[in-house]
Amino acid sequence: MYSLYFDPGLGAMILQAIIAAVAGVILFSKNVMYKIKTLLGLIKHDDQELFDDINVNDSKSENKTDSDH
Amino acid sequence: MLTIRRAKIKQTVTTKAIHSSSFRDPSGYVFTDNGVIKRVINPIYFEHYYRLKSSGFFNTLFKNELLVKHEELSASDDEIIIQPEFIPFITYPYEWCFNQYKEAALLTLKLQKFCLENGFSLKDASAFNIVFHNGKAIFIDTLSFEFYQENTPWRAYKQFITHFLGPLVLAHFHGSEMLKLSSNFIDGIPVKTIASLLPFKTKLNPFLYSNIHLLAKFEEKHSTDYKGETKVASLSKKGQLNIIESLYSYIKKLELKEASEWGKYYEKTNYSDTAFQLKSAIINKWINTLNTKTVIDVGGNDGTFVRRITAPLQQALVCDIDNNAVDYNYKQIKQNKERFITPFVLDVLNPSATIGFNNQERQSFIERVSAFHPDVTLALAVIHHMSLSGNVPFSASAKFFRAFSNYLIIEFPKREDSWVQRLLKSKGEFESYFDFYNQVNFESAFSLYFELIEKQSIEKSERVMYLFKVK
Repeated sequence: MYSLYFDPGLGAMILQAIIAAVAGVILFSKNVMYKIKTLLGLIKHDDQELFDDINVNDSKSENKTDSDH
Repeated sequence: MLTIRRAKIKQTVTTKAIHSSSFRDPSGYVFTDNGVIKRVINPIYFEHYYRLKSSGFFNTLFKNELLVKHEELSASDDEIIIQPEFIPFITYPYEWCFNQYKEAALLTLKLQKFCLENGFSLKDASAFNIVFHNGKAIFIDTLSFEFYQENTPWRAYKQFITHFLGPLVLAHFHGSEMLKLSSNFIDGIPVKTIASLLPFKTKLNPFLYSNIHLLAKFEEKHSTDYKGETKVASLSKKGQLNIIESLYSYIKKLELKEASEWGKYYEKTNYSDTAFQLKSAIINKWINTLNTKTVIDVGGNDGTFVRRITAPLQQALVCDIDNNAVDYNYKQIKQNKERFITPFVLDVLNPSATIGFNNQERQSFIERVSAFHPDVTLALAVIHHMSLSGNVPFSASAKFFRAFSNYLIIEFPKREDSWVQRLLKSKGEFESYFDFYNQVNFESAFSLYFELIEKQSIEKSERVMYLFKVK
């Protein structure tokens, strides 16, 4: 049952598999860069950041997320 | 399908005062009961609701202030009624500054990730599902969560692009004015339009190419498949999380190119330090006498004067035409963790209109501010812009402010003021058309709608402060 009341866009539905692959590559290379920079001591932690990270603070699901940071 | 139809019929026959923006989702609707906003949940959504409630999903989001809190009022076989926490003033996406828009986008992604981890999925990603309350973005559509079905793509993905990523990327390249497009494209800027407005180099960026340019191509290619013949691709949960996380990290880093040196405004103005302090002291004296709890500061810039108010305010709306000023205000709110200020972008010469279906879906600024009805309206250094840049007659300005609140604190810069002089000079040969701009005419026009309680000149400046009460 799809109680959908707007058009999700067929193209958008099909395309997501490709976008996910591209996103996977981007995230992977970012992680690699992050690790290299950390090893070289180039990462500065910015306390001034306006927004926090994507994870919802939830004691129940915190252990489930496999964050690399 | 049958259940949907039944739910729809039920909506049309209800005697409740359905909110004019609540008609899209068959899961339920919002109505007002003696001025109190309540939400009906239809049987079609009962299973979702009980699962969200019993699993602690709702509670976690409430605790983190990511979803508006609600209280269950009643539950029968036909309907469940909940009452969401009251939000005093709603702002719309076309009134947000860049960082507010960003926060709303990030919140949507954060929720979708949390959903996926808990067996749910957001069924829509409309920017109108988010408002600003207590100094941060909060999701208000309690019925937006559906069950996640393994290996299905995100149905709201395209909506996210047209409501959030598109406008933000356009603002990045072309300036914050692009965010106002959402008042014309109430259900998102078409992907094709977004793609065509982006510079060529964005095609070389794998993230933007795949999420926008390729999406536009795919949408075009599949737009004629009305029979649903194309097989819908499947997508693993990990794949979908990749999309969500890459969107999050891209948007989080997105900045305005025009990022200006805001915040130096008050150094540029023609105030001496003493005049600035005096103006602030006058405002404080009147605000305190009136026992003020709520204010709106029209043309409030980065919120400087609201922050100088010593009385404990419950709610202060601060609006300005300048997206950068609002953005600067918003950053301060985030950094200082201030909960009482709601900033938004507003052009007094063209305040947000009522738009959407039946011209009723999104309320106009005037409707919202009249309903909010703050104790005091502040209009500091605004009237000369209205009169001399906007050519608005004093009587029309007075009528405009009258709708806001019972008390009005308004600052009048005299003809001798350097800003006024500058504006008058820009009129060239038509300068004499603006001879009406003086204190006598101002006072007599405002006296049509207001009673003058007190007026006080600001020493060492060419400005006068007025305290008016609506007649």
